[in-house]
Amino acid sequence: MTKVFTKPDKPRLFFKHMMREMFKLGFTSIPIVAIISLFIGAVIALQMALNFDSPLLPKIYIGLATREVLLLEFSSTVIALILAGKVGSNIASEIGSMRITEQIDAMEIMGLNSANYLILPKVVALVIFNPFLTALSSILGIIGGGLLVDITQVIRIVDYINGIQFVFNEFYVFYGIIKMAVFSIIITTIPAFYGYYASGGSLGVGQSSTRSIVASSVFILVFDLILTQLLLQ
Amino acid sequence: MIEVKDIYKSFAGKEVLKNVSAVFEQGKTNLIIGQSGSGKTVLLKCIVGLHEVDSGEIWFNNNILFNKLSFKEKKEMRKQIGMLFQGSALFDFANVEDNVRFPLEMFSDMSREEQDERINFCLKRVNIINANKLFPSELSGGMQKRVAIARAIAFSPKYLFCDEPNSGLDPRTSILIDNLIKEITEEYKITTIINTHDMNSVMEIGDKVVFIHEGEKWWEGSKDNILHADNKELNDFVFASKMAKTLKGYVEKSS
Ligand SMILES: Nc1ncnc2c1ncn2[C@@H]1O[C@H](COP(=O)(O)OP(=O)(O)O)[C@@H](O)[C@H]1O
Ligand SMILES: [Mg+2]
Repeated sequence: MTKVFTKPDKPRLFFKHMMREMFKLGFTSIPIVAIISLFIGAVIALQMALNFDSPLLPKIYIGLATREVLLLEFSSTVIALILAGKVGSNIASEIGSMRITEQIDAMEIMGLNSANYLILPKVVALVIFNPFLTALSSILGIIGGGLLVDITQVIRIVDYINGIQFVFNEFYVFYGIIKMAVFSIIITTIPAFYGYYASGGSLGVGQSSTRSIVASSVFILVFDLILTQLLLQ
Repeated sequence: MIEVKDIYKSFAGKEVLKNVSAVFEQGKTNLIIGQSGSGKTVLLKCIVGLHEVDSGEIWFNNNILFNKLSFKEKKEMRKQIGMLFQGSALFDFANVEDNVRFPLEMFSDMSREEQDERINFCLKRVNIINANKLFPSELSGGMQKRVAIARAIAFSPKYLFCDEPNSGLDPRTSILIDNLIKEITEEYKITTIINTHDMNSVMEIGDKVVFIHEGEKWWEGSKDNILHADNKELNDFVFASKMAKTLKGYVEKSS
């Protein structure tokens, strides 16, 4: 672990690799995050509308609740769980196959700190990039809810929009982004670790990939609890 | 020159190397031979420091106790070490020239032009021409081995380690690769250690041969005396194939 978080051998190359990883692991996640967020935003709005069906509750609570669910949990935790699958399997299998084909040994023999070279650019790239995905997800989720309201007319769109704007707490945005930054460390380091110590041929690489996704998902949930306790109490 | 003294290595209680000692000479192709699973790869990886030995000493050039160097000192030494891995271990993410460029880019201050010059020199030395932009997956096994040799000699190493350089190659390509390694070894006065289980290689380039059996050194000599060695395990290894047995019959009849 300490081998990963040291100064890179060549900072200029590090930056180049980080940009490449940002594109490969971050940028390419935009479509899946966008689709899921639009749909789940719509579903949350619909659920809220159907379940808050009491004359005592003002309709603006539907927009408000949709917003809070997205900001507090969905756009950080659920998106992180999805990325743990997508990004995690990619990282674990890439590094794992480099391990079993001795490409990592080949780096070590040159005197390169292979853990640092292979892993750190990925961690830094996603810690920087994924918070943007969280922001994107919240915005698209709210739009998805809005589209649903507009199409189905379950409530008036003005009520939804007013709800979205009602008692807005900026800290929740910050909270979601902090969580995602921490989750990004989890979904890069854990699969990288499993891949780095993979053994037993291509079967072993597959196993390390599966295990790493399970492990990072559990870690995400545990850290969700811890961070919520720390940041929101 | 490299000397190993009493190398002992076990994995989770399983003994793999039992007090192996040997000397490997400069400017010569030193072979470590033995059956699959006898511990050749582990021995080679212990010598280069990819595995930590449990006990024993690894001397480079009589004066450097390699296995006791600090991380930083080892890193300095690495420039003098080239290694050819069993499966070539070329980087999938880089094309031929960038594979050879990799060590130069990471560990030298060469300009791009100087790198290109060195890359083309190394590739030419191993007879890879007009393939600079191909990726490892587009190369044949023999070409992959050549590119891996080019990468291993990028820094003009003093020590070259080859793990089964001709595994997976046809007999003719094997001999070409063997001879290429021998030529480079003699040309640049490198101390070269080669793992192999291939008797063709032994007879072709076995300047010095160390026979490992079940993690122990059983015999040491050269290609000139290996056929007449008085060692049952070695004889079983040397004359394992029907062809070898037949030839041995001829030799014995005619003498
Ligand atoms: N990393 C490892 N962990 C545990 N056992 C290993 C490891 N590497 C090699 N071995 C064992 O050491 C023995 C020798 O292996 P190896 O050196 O690869 O043989 P070969 O002579 O074919 O190169 C084998 O029995 C192998 O199972
Ligand atoms: Mg081997």
